[in-house]
Amino acid sequence: MSITRRTFGIGTTSLVLGTVAAPWVRRASAEAAAIKIGVINSMSGGLSAYAQEGQPALEYMIKKINDGGGIKSKGGAKIQLIQADDTSQPARTATEARRLITEEKVQLLTGTILSAQMLALTPVLDELKVPTLSIWAGGAHSNYMFSLGYPYDRGYAQTMHDFIVSLRDNKFPIKTAVMSYSNYEAGQQVNSFLVPKLKASGIEIIGEAPLDTRAQDQTSAMIRIRSLKPDIVTGLVTPRDGILLHQARFNLNYHGSIFVGGTGGYSDLSLWKDLGPEVGKAVLTRNLFAMTGFSAGAKIDSMQKVVTELRDVAKLDRIGQGAIQYAQAARVLQRVLEASSSLESDALLDAFKKFDMPFGDPDLYVAKPKGLQFADDRLLKDGSAMMVQWLPDQGQEVVFPKEFAQAAPRART
Amino acid sequence: MIKDDFFKTLASPWLWGIVLLGAMLPMVLSSYYTHILTIALVYVALASAWNIVGGMSGQISLAHSLFIGTGAMLSAALLVKLGINMWAGLVIAAATAGLLGAIIAWIDFRFQLGHLSFVLITLAFAEMASIVVEGWDFLGGASGLLLPQDTGNFLDFQFGGGRGAFWVMLGLATIIVLVNVAILNSPLGYYLRTIRDNEKAAQAIGVNVLRQKTTAMVISAVLTSIVGTAYVRYLTFADPYLLASPVITIEIVLFATVGGLGRAYGPALGALLLVPLGEVLRGKLGGAVPGLHYFIYGIVVIVVILATPSGLLPLFERLFWRRSRMLPKI
Repeated sequence: MSITRRTFGIGTTSLVLGTVAAPWVRRASAEAAAIKIGVINSMSGGLSAYAQEGQPALEYMIKKINDGGGIKSKGGAKIQLIQADDTSQPARTATEARRLITEEKVQLLTGTILSAQMLALTPVLDELKVPTLSIWAGGAHSNYMFSLGYPYDRGYAQTMHDFIVSLRDNKFPIKTAVMSYSNYEAGQQVNSFLVPKLKASGIEIIGEAPLDTRAQDQTSAMIRIRSLKPDIVTGLVTPRDGILLHQARFNLNYHGSIFVGGTGGYSDLSLWKDLGPEVGKAVLTRNLFAMTGFSAGAKIDSMQKVVTELRDVAKLDRIGQGAIQYAQAARVLQRVLEASSSLESDALLDAFKKFDMPFGDPDLYVAKPKGLQFADDRLLKDGSAMMVQWLPDQGQEVVFPKEFAQAAPRART
Repeated sequence: MIKDDFFKTLASPWLWGIVLLGAMLPMVLSSYYTHILTIALVYVALASAWNIVGGMSGQISLAHSLFIGTGAMLSAALLVKLGINMWAGLVIAAATAGLLGAIIAWIDFRFQLGHLSFVLITLAFAEMASIVVEGWDFLGGASGLLLPQDTGNFLDFQFGGGRGAFWVMLGLATIIVLVNVAILNSPLGYYLRTIRDNEKAAQAIGVNVLRQKTTAMVISAVLTSIVGTAYVRYLTFADPYLLASPVITIEIVLFATVGGLGRAYGPALGALLLVPLGEVLRGKLGGAVPGLHYFIYGIVVIVVILATPSGLLPLFERLFWRRSRMLPKI
């Protein structure tokens, strides 16, 4: 291929003009007096599953809010979502946040924003002072960051601990535990909080079997678990590691311990598809309890209604924890905007701090017996989740907490 | 002895004019575009530092994430966990990276590794480093480390973020490009190119291969580590999946290759074009059609590599400098 000065000039000019013109083409269709919310999602890359499930639910709920008259306290202003893809890389989350704030002039930010992204965002938010609602982060370091995610301590670790203790109180013989968790940021964090809690409750930690997140097989971890033969195996496990762990358990035909874990690696609906019905039935329905924020069978009217609506009206084909969490985020943002005295950063921040959605509110979609409020650390005051057990028909029964429970925990369903 | 060409470059009004013009950009650009240029300068510095080994001596090292990680994660851990000033952390990390570089160079020489074996060995080092960082609490583990806010206290290795970080990166990138020019115009540069073209012949004519390779690797590792420290200070969050992952080395190799491998200004050109292109494409298109920016970016890279396999710099020279004036004749 031969390049002349002319062809080079034409090529580079087209590329530059196309890139520069893109936002104006998009803006031409945008509404005039909209409230701009930047949505930073991992739409591509290793973490894209969260947003691909949740984003359609968020868009549906925002459309519903806009169709219902927008933000009434702001003269019926419509919400305009401006999307950004951080490609699952925290450094790019920070870059996109800077772009959305300084170039697109958004008033709020939201999006998947897992814990690593939250940390990368912290200096940007501290500098540019834009209130942000993370949908999944387990911590919030910036004063401008609030999160709907489960706090590592009083969310993940406390729920698993409380459930394990309740099992023991229900005559399950639990004296020893092995910590088996996905060896990544969230897995390590939850483990660091869970271990002391279990020890304080008199459960002896007899070993660890961390799951290498890059491994293609978790048989070695399962062999270690089998050799230690604890009463309980517990930890935070990603869907991929969960699939490999359950496959290894099936291959080794190991049923000598009770597996208590969260979230995706134990509770995700996709486990059945990836494991297949035979393996799924053999391992998921036996000696296994899963932590989750959403279960279709939970005794929560507002959750049931939103699931029906997302399925029948929005026609979403995948309604799991991700979709519910994003739908909840839309309602939180709506309430914050309604309550805020203006769209200035301080007013929005104040509205987040005073936010209160009590249990029983029709817009409360997640399972929170104490409702939805933000604590001083800007994480949910009630960080608790539910524990479920799988049924052979691939359904779930909520077994904890008692407010939402459908059945008592059984070693074999 | 360094040839006169280096000193001519050093005295070139073109060079300092471009640097001065670049230094004024944050005054007119928004925070977002200043950030993109800062990141581009980080990669200019990293790709130019890598070029000393990968371009000049022809050793395609994938271990540079080890050096970036050492500079970034070790200095961050020393600050956060032990309270050691980041200037001292920079020196400790750079010395550690230099030592690791020397070890890798020695292994390469001792076992007479071929090109492919060298690539694989360095990749193995990078993977090991990544696993160590993600599994070692002192370095922040998989969660990484959050540094104290940058308040602009120079004595604490703080530059005030934004513009300050841009100027630091501009300074670092300029120095490292000039180091490239200096090496290319020095005996070391000639030795390295001889080794790259025919190692056995180089040895036969008396080139001390171990010494030259080790020197190149140590210089490259130390410079890379220093950039890693400055980069993590700018980011504030020491993310092991970014700073200690072999993926970052792949990006560096890509920028250097697209710009012009082995040239003093080639890697800088590649990074200055591709980093802003990737960032702006993602910003404009990433939210609308996920993955489209990757596709376009990939197409651009493929077209460039097919059109000009030796890199963009030779193409630019052909198009715009019929007689190469400011570029060293190398």
